[in-house]
Amino acid sequence: MVLRRDKRRAPEPPRVIVFRWDLDKTYLKSEFESLRELVRIPFEKPEDKIAVPGVVPLIRGLREVATHAGRDVRVYFISASPPQIAKAIKEKLALDGIEYDGIVFKNQLQHLVRGKFRNLREQVGYKLTELLKSRAEMPPESTEILFGDDWESDPIIYSLYADVLANRLATDELDDVLDTIGVDPKLIVQAKELAAAARHADVVARIYINLERRTPPTHFRLFGTRLVPTYNYFQTAVCLYQDGHLTLPAVAHVADNLINTSGYTPERLANSLADIARRDHLTEASAIAVREYLRARGLLPRRRLAGVRASLWQRVLRWVRSKPATSPALHDTINYQTLVAEWRGTR
Amino acid sequence: MATIAIDAMGGDFAPEEVVKGVAQASLETDIQCTLVGDELRIQEILSATTYNPENISIQHAREFIEMAEEPKAALRNKRHASILVGARLVAEGDADALVTAGNTGAAVLACVQHFKPIHGVRKAGLASVYPRQTEYAGQDELALLLDVGATIRCDAMELVQFALMGSAYARRISKVPNPRVALLNMGSEESKGGDVLVQAHRQLKAIKDINFIGNIEGNDLAKGNADVIICEGLLGNVVLKMLEGLAELVVDLAGTAARENWRWKLGLMMLASGFGRLRDLTDYAAYGGAPFLGFERLLIKSHGRSNARAVKNAVKVAAKAVRDGVTREIAAAIEQL
Repeated sequence: MVLRRDKRRAPEPPRVIVFRWDLDKTYLKSEFESLRELVRIPFEKPEDKIAVPGVVPLIRGLREVATHAGRDVRVYFISASPPQIAKAIKEKLALDGIEYDGIVFKNQLQHLVRGKFRNLREQVGYKLTELLKSRAEMPPESTEILFGDDWESDPIIYSLYADVLANRLATDELDDVLDTIGVDPKLIVQAKELAAAARHADVVARIYINLERRTPPTHFRLFGTRLVPTYNYFQTAVCLYQDGHLTLPAVAHVADNLINTSGYTPERLANSLADIARRDHLTEASAIAVREYLRARGLLPRRRLAGVRASLWQRVLRWVRSKPATSPALHDTINYQTLVAEWRGTR
Repeated sequence: MATIAIDAMGGDFAPEEVVKGVAQASLETDIQCTLVGDELRIQEILSATTYNPENISIQHAREFIEMAEEPKAALRNKRHASILVGARLVAEGDADALVTAGNTGAAVLACVQHFKPIHGVRKAGLASVYPRQTEYAGQDELALLLDVGATIRCDAMELVQFALMGSAYARRISKVPNPRVALLNMGSEESKGGDVLVQAHRQLKAIKDINFIGNIEGNDLAKGNADVIICEGLLGNVVLKMLEGLAELVVDLAGTAARENWRWKLGLMMLASGFGRLRDLTDYAAYGGAPFLGFERLLIKSHGRSNARAVKNAVKVAAKAVRDGVTREIAAAIEQL
């Protein structure tokens, strides 16, 4: 039963869409919590590397849906890993059948040689400048969707990138924020130059953060509604469906992949769907559409007769209490000094 | 994997500690948890903590029963109370067991209203665990005492059934192959305690499936010689509250002594590790909760002052009881009678 049809239609997706992906902990299930694991990474063969559950069908689905709709789609990867492991990474992407348009690695050797050991771990300056450089090569009308994780600083990097492009962050403020974070002064200068030269437009539609560390969602409240923290790629997929970037069959494909290759159960997916809806990232109408479609295909548990009354009551309640989900183009103004201080406090 | 319904609104520190406990369980186990209570409040607490949403669902309940409310009247007036909604979920098969740290009377009555009794069981018994001395390495540090308040008075057959149920629970949960069962009495002789206890003693002695070791007195409770102690609810409740009161008294006395004299304070500091061990033993958070036995479905009742750790452990105990088929074991034991 549908209590209320959501009158807000998903916006018409742009003609050119750019999907940017972080690599470690976002695409790859990289384990570098211990020194032993860190040392092992360069010696891993492509077939030893493991993708985060659901990410492969999600990226494929995004490309297929956009291509089918006649849109120009581009996929880029940005990694803080050194170029020495590029071969293995590229082979892994080929093994997974992921087509991409560009991939950037961090020249760690250069920092080592110059004795800039701090830069080895600092990613904000590196990633922000690389993103801005890449943006200069994109068609001006292209819209971007960014994918990262909560392991290090992706939420801050992506938000800075989005606000620099949207001209919501003055050069002085960018300077202060990067300085507070401890970015190499040379990279700050470079970032400011790139920011000044950028064609300013509100191009970042959404930032998805994979909660690899299970960071509590409230820790992201200062990032505004543009950023969506998700616990798995099924949650990401349903949000992308809501924004018009995936179809229901593509969402079903992600769900099917999670069940058949990663040990997920229909119950776990149902709980994930309910969670992302409760966190106000999904409208009731979208949640119902996904639920009904996946139920019909056995990917979510069928409704038990005994639960119908409670379910009806819950739906009425949600409808009464419903707030609009995070619809596109709700870009809040971010106070970066407060945000950086709070984000560091949670690390 | 078992699905456990948890009354999110029950307990002195609910819903915060209950939700946090379930969040911890969701990260450490694959147990499917259904939190029952105010959906918005529960999500608010979850969003501020570390949790795995894949293992948690929420069932909204718009009312809840306060700890101090009169159980019967509260259940009558609050048809949508979280404990009732939770009991219904379990009764209807949407969950396998119920956990609550809320009002004990209301929890017991909710189960009586919704759960089907095991065939042949005359009265359900509320169990509790308490620390006791251990005699050998690996022995469970907790003994099971039942009934602790679901009944007031019992007849001999009801006590015998408590023995069978407690024995089955200890076999499955404490992994004691042949639990020693004792009858709490005012003397160790068979003839002590009046007609009911004498008759119960005689009947228990005759049952081959129970490792009945006879009567034990109050001063034997803390010794490790019995795994399951049987008594009427009135007596069990008095014993349980007295044990809790004594533990609080010891801590209180130690604190007073430390404040009054620096030598005593020094002495207490030297005994700190020993006190720590004692605290661990009497820490209800470590064992989570105890079962309400006699129904086809299971209730795990946690202490009213349960913190997140206690709730997490109660969820684990409930899942273990479901996985190990405690109610089936009890049904089989009762059928043998």
